[in-house]
Amino acid sequence: MRRLPIYILLDTSGSMQGEPIEAVKTGLLSLLSSLRKDPYALETVWVSIITFDLEAVVRIPLTEVSELTLPEIPVPETSPTNLGSAIELLCDQYRKEIVISNAQHKGDWLPLAIIMTDGAPSDTQHYNRMLEQLKNYKFARIICCAAGPKAKVEPLKCMTKDVFTLDTMDSGTFSKFWVWVSTAVERQSQLVDLQPNELPPPPEEIKLVI
Amino acid sequence: MSNEINPNDIVKTKAKDGSNVEFVFKDPKQGGVKDVYFAPDRSEVVAFFRNPLDVSGRERIEKIVTDYRSRIYEQAGGEYWKECFCWPEKIVEYNGMTGIVVPTYQNCFFFQTGNLAGTEKEGKWFASPKIYNRFVPMEEKGSLLGYLRLCLKLSRATRRLHAAGLAHSDLSYKNCLVDPQSGNACIIDIDGLVVPGVFPPDVIGTPDFIAPEVVASTGRQREDRILPSQATDRHALAVLIYQYLFHRHPLRGGKIYSQDNDVQEKMEMGEKALFIEHPNDKSNRPILDDNDDICMPWVDVEKIPYTTAGPMLKTLFDRAFIEGLHDPAQRPTADDWEDAIVKTSDMIQPCSNENCVKKWFIFDNSTRPVCPYCGTPYKGILPLLDFYSSRNGKDYRPDNHRLMVFSGQSLYQWHTNRSVIPNEKIKKEHTTRVGYFSFFKGKWLFVNQTLTSMKNLTTDQPVPIGTGVELVDGLKLQFSSDTNGRIAYIQIAKGT
Repeated sequence: MRRLPIYILLDTSGSMQGEPIEAVKTGLLSLLSSLRKDPYALETVWVSIITFDLEAVVRIPLTEVSELTLPEIPVPETSPTNLGSAIELLCDQYRKEIVISNAQHKGDWLPLAIIMTDGAPSDTQHYNRMLEQLKNYKFARIICCAAGPKAKVEPLKCMTKDVFTLDTMDSGTFSKFWVWVSTAVERQSQLVDLQPNELPPPPEEIKLVI
Repeated sequence: MSNEINPNDIVKTKAKDGSNVEFVFKDPKQGGVKDVYFAPDRSEVVAFFRNPLDVSGRERIEKIVTDYRSRIYEQAGGEYWKECFCWPEKIVEYNGMTGIVVPTYQNCFFFQTGNLAGTEKEGKWFASPKIYNRFVPMEEKGSLLGYLRLCLKLSRATRRLHAAGLAHSDLSYKNCLVDPQSGNACIIDIDGLVVPGVFPPDVIGTPDFIAPEVVASTGRQREDRILPSQATDRHALAVLIYQYLFHRHPLRGGKIYSQDNDVQEKMEMGEKALFIEHPNDKSNRPILDDNDDICMPWVDVEKIPYTTAGPMLKTLFDRAFIEGLHDPAQRPTADDWEDAIVKTSDMIQPCSNENCVKKWFIFDNSTRPVCPYCGTPYKGILPLLDFYSSRNGKDYRPDNHRLMVFSGQSLYQWHTNRSVIPNEKIKKEHTTRVGYFSFFKGKWLFVNQTLTSMKNLTTDQPVPIGTGVELVDGLKLQFSSDTNGRIAYIQIAKGT
């Protein structure tokens, strides 16, 4: 069965402690619950959750959406935002997990990656190196979400054209973002490559960085 | 989401026809091109187009709520279509947006049990082997009879659209709600209707359902593109019917054309499209190892071949996916499907295994009938009736219509009289049975309930109302002396 893999990369640096991480978890839960009621997603979507602070950690390897339960997501008190390590781990996981089509068998659909951060990469040099490496891996779409006032948009724009900003980090705004993400995922799992992949516009609080 | 409505969110406005419209202007459900808001009592929805409509788009929805609507609903049998379509009723302009008012779906189109309670029964739930086997609750899976009925409704609804000169242009599981329990189906998203030469399509369709010639022409100049039409609706209808009967896609098999997903998709759905069950070219058979166990037996075309749908539907699938796959003129029309499904419904047998997932199976004309879904053989003898009719009251010709008998089976006017056709125009008095079949004290009987001039041609004796006649091999029955009355020839097949 061909899968549509979704990698979710979450910033767990110190500033995410408290309400922000709780809001992200609530958002993830509603994302999962809406995917579980969508037959397209149930048929194809597999999700992996990776967190990053000082270290990048695979919290959940690629798992079928119906089988997935949200793990504990610890947030260390003071820690940097090593987005470079996260991208490195994403590439490692891609190599390990994604089934590429060959002459006999159909492989997975191209994965989606959703990256959420409230800051800027602390490991700038590593990050820039990893961006080069990332270009060797094909994704259907990479969506970055810069959440809160301290999030830096510029470095993310080097990774993808789909950068969104959330002005505030309260749960209401987050939940709108995840609803939008689930629409994006559902759309991706239905529209298979033939048509231009148009998404509905993001809700008001989410700004598409141009 | 909370169910409480804040009165401040309720918008009260007037539709273009002057009637009142109310909707809760909050948290819309986002569709492909529209944002959908419910009326406070949820009896209808207002769906606003996200992008402003151009002149022709506006004209199209005007026509849909007026002329096209009356063309279908104000004809004989008009009432029947209310259940088959979710037809836009009014146009609303609000805050510079254009919207259409559409009735909400019937309750049967929402799951009733388990985690899915309240979720719409879009066709996808029943079209994919994994989803059907694993996620649809057992009690909502429905029987084979339910799937035949819903396919009949879809065919009928498509036939009606086509007869009115319209094409849907995006028939897909998203746009057809189905309920295998009650056998109901409803076509939604009518606002994209295509009228050849007047309103061109604005979408090319949904992957899985786009006709091969349309897929193959993507990427060409606009004037060289092949666009949705009634002919492509016919392809989509055939795919839907195939999927609902077999829970698999007729063209998505194991054949690889390219390692590039985009190229593969364009080949397997477009110019190289090949029926997975093509009798001579077996190169696109599904690869069983590529599928999870949960997809069995549906992905195994050896276990559940399309011939299990019986000879009538097999012929149409051949025309749709072999002869007509790349030759649109060969594709069966919606009428063809309707007729074949009606006849196929007369060839079903209850499965004697009470745990059988499909409960019924279609008799495939073999001499040793076995339920293909659970392998349970039919036990005992099985009478079957072949119908004959005449145009002059003398020469009787076969109608290519066979009725398989089971205990409790009913006989209707559309069996006994060739002028009665079971569709939306049928008169109420023709919908009650004229007799029934029963296995009684080791014998198969037909009991006449209302036929006034029925005759046993073998013995040349009348069969009065309230009496029965034993069904034996070679028996000939005349149901009516009317010129349109039918004759049945009875054969007895033996199970194990």
